[in-house]
Amino acid sequence: MVANVRRAIRAMVAVPLVGVGVVAGCGVQQSSDAPREVSVYVSTDRVFSEPVLREYERRSGVRVNAVYDTEETKSTGLANRLIAEMHRPQADVFWSNEPMRTLVLKSRGVLAPYRSPAAEGIPGALVDPEGEWTGFSARIRVIAYNTTLVKREEAPQSVFDLADERWRGRVAIADPRFGSTSFHVAALYAQVGDAKMDDFFRRLKANEVRVVDGNSVVRDLVARGEVSVGLTDTDDVNVAIENGQPVGMVLPDRDGLGVPVMPNMLSLIANAPHPEEGRRVIDYLLSPDVERMLAASEAVQIPLRAGVPGPRNLPSIDGVRPMTLDYTKAAARVEDVTLRAAGLLGL
Amino acid sequence: MWGLRSSRTLAVTGALAAFTLLCVLPLAYMLAQAGTAAATHAVLLLDARQRTLLLNTAALGGGTALLATLIGAPLGFVLARVPLRFKPVWRVALAAPLLLPPYVIALAWVYLGGSAGLVAAATGRDLLSGWTYSLPGAVVVLSLVFYPLSMLTTEVALRRIEPRIEEAAFVVAPPGRVLRRITLPLAAPAVGAAALVIFVLAVSEFGVPGLLRVRVFTTEVFTAFAALYDFSRATILTLPLLGLSIVVAAVAALLVGERLLVTRRGATGARPVAFEGWTRRATGAAWCVLAVALVAPLAVLTREAMGVPSVTAIVKGSGEAIRSSLTLAAAGATVASGVAVWIGYARARARRRVGVCADVLLVVLFAVPSTVVGVGLIGVWNRAGVFGRVYGTDGMLLLAYLARFLPVAALALAAGMRYVPASHEEAAAVGGAGWWSTMIHVVLPQVKLALLAAWVVVFILAFGELGASILVAPPGESTLPIRIYTIIANAPAAEVAALALLQTAVVLAPLSLLALGIAIRRPE
Repeated sequence: MVANVRRAIRAMVAVPLVGVGVVAGCGVQQSSDAPREVSVYVSTDRVFSEPVLREYERRSGVRVNAVYDTEETKSTGLANRLIAEMHRPQADVFWSNEPMRTLVLKSRGVLAPYRSPAAEGIPGALVDPEGEWTGFSARIRVIAYNTTLVKREEAPQSVFDLADERWRGRVAIADPRFGSTSFHVAALYAQVGDAKMDDFFRRLKANEVRVVDGNSVVRDLVARGEVSVGLTDTDDVNVAIENGQPVGMVLPDRDGLGVPVMPNMLSLIANAPHPEEGRRVIDYLLSPDVERMLAASEAVQIPLRAGVPGPRNLPSIDGVRPMTLDYTKAAARVEDVTLRAAGLLGL
Repeated sequence: MWGLRSSRTLAVTGALAAFTLLCVLPLAYMLAQAGTAAATHAVLLLDARQRTLLLNTAALGGGTALLATLIGAPLGFVLARVPLRFKPVWRVALAAPLLLPPYVIALAWVYLGGSAGLVAAATGRDLLSGWTYSLPGAVVVLSLVFYPLSMLTTEVALRRIEPRIEEAAFVVAPPGRVLRRITLPLAAPAVGAAALVIFVLAVSEFGVPGLLRVRVFTTEVFTAFAALYDFSRATILTLPLLGLSIVVAAVAALLVGERLLVTRRGATGARPVAFEGWTRRATGAAWCVLAVALVAPLAVLTREAMGVPSVTAIVKGSGEAIRSSLTLAAAGATVASGVAVWIGYARARARRRVGVCADVLLVVLFAVPSTVVGVGLIGVWNRAGVFGRVYGTDGMLLLAYLARFLPVAALALAAGMRYVPASHEEAAAVGGAGWWSTMIHVVLPQVKLALLAAWVVVFILAFGELGASILVAPPGESTLPIRIYTIIANAPAAEVAALALLQTAVVLAPLSLLALGIAIRRPE
């Protein structure tokens, strides 16, 4: 027994030294004949993006070191990491699932220009004139409704309908300070002006809207019937539909402002450690093949190119009138609008 | 023995240098960065909403510390003093909720008490959702997760009380009075220290208040990062939270002081047997706590997870993350304990005023939000040279665990070291023993329980760490929490429940086996 204690104590004395050794050992650099690799930071949901990147590994033989993001309300995420690392970047490419983070990174000088030849066929409005981002496969902000509680013809047709008295206590939205909801709110402020949007949020608050911590939570609340309708994204609703839950969706504001379309965005990182590999992986991700893969997956991303088949449950981009949006203008107001909406909703 | 070149000075200085590098430097870096951004200083003038959030945070921390102590301390007493059958099994089962990620427990209570939860479905009425999504709801959930800290600390403290003191009291007083007047006051400092750790864990918690829609101050810090990408604002906003921790730690230090009972005996051996009449009531209470804190949430999660079409698909691809998490958490716990033992020793032998300041510093460092630590680590380590060779490797995850949890290990070991009288060292020195020999043969054997407790606590906390890990994990690598949280965004509820159970099982199984193995080798 005494011998055991002594052995344990000796081991414990040595531990700090071993710990330093472990850390130092981990820090050994790869030799020059190490296999080709590229680091991609991905905020598109892992279940959808991982197979796409694995396919690139299979085709190119290049190892993809991916860092995936959580929902923005569960950790501070990759955009912060990219900003913190900008003086000595570790990432080569940033693949964002919505425009706002990319635009923030552009304003901070984190991104580098790259005009990919693979972007041919993507609408010009979704390619940065300065080449620091390129849009591809898109999601749409939609109104989800519980099909057992709400008939299709009675579902709200505009975002602004959610503030109507008839939906009092029956609406959920995700926290407008984060993720695709922050993009949607910034876009609406840029489009319709402060007075109308402030009034909308005041009426939503008076209507006892439930503000929850993510679009997937909105979907779950609608699916369980805890609320009748909610504002969320196409991929979230599709998961519920594929699981046989009683959820339908409405593309909002088709006849007015236009439908809020959110493209994925790809960017090369300034001073990336593997810029050539980064460009190659961007070329691959912008290819029609990837748009096809994302459309066929449960992500139900809508291809931006004509001729690429879209998801079966959703209209093609040609059948949707998108909200016209000045991305730069919307991005410039993110902070102001975020704090404003949060204040009006009492967050 | 405190000479400039003495073994003691070298060991303690080395540990303090490591502590400064690992824990203090990332926070100092962030504060220095924020200090240069004068425009953000105005946020320190808290507006009415922020003051309300700070009050909510204090209520969450205070309420959780109180309720967890009210649940845990009596159970600790039961484990230490009341005869129970299968006590080692009870100890492991009652401690198990601490192994479950708080977010998972909150998720289970939402499935149970939400407006479309099991209770509402069974009764046809929404009885619980108003309560579930509330500050009291968050306090209850966090208390059910953290009460084992109070329980285990109380048990160890009670086992260290010199039995002759209680035996003398039993001669002239009934058990209840001995408990109130002798036993509990002697254990109070340790119970208070555990309550302080629970307070800090609760105020720095983000996942549970977020899920239960309780607005607390961590939300402000988080929003400054996640919504505004403003590091300076986020760091400055951390200061009120740290101020709250300083106040609570200082008050606790004043109340607890140095009133620790010095004992010449270990934590095992014969106990007073005056409480055998309490066995039935104690068993009933333990069953109640177990049912609410462990059985109910796991049963709800299991029921929800039954909807998963294939368990194989859930586990598939998680093997590497599980191995990585277990290895790194074990390495983090081992290194943290190895460094903390010397810091704990230095704190235990420090003058009272220095010791109180050290306690406050450790509490404050433990309360720093994970994202601030993560960004600070990037700032300190992502640079050319030696530090840069570590950045981008698994070593960063280890450093993140140490930066976050070395302070709590040091607190635990400082408390353990204070039970070892300095006279033991002096006696060894008079007998001709050197300092290393004294430490190895005299001091450390007396704190082996505290050492094991520190290791287990750091292992559990490190295994569930997400906030700092996700910022510093090398590309292509993943821990189990990172993998789970990056998957659940679009997963249906059944898969989320299955993943939560997976995370629970991975940490619960080895630690339960370890605890049972120890119990079998050393029965009551």
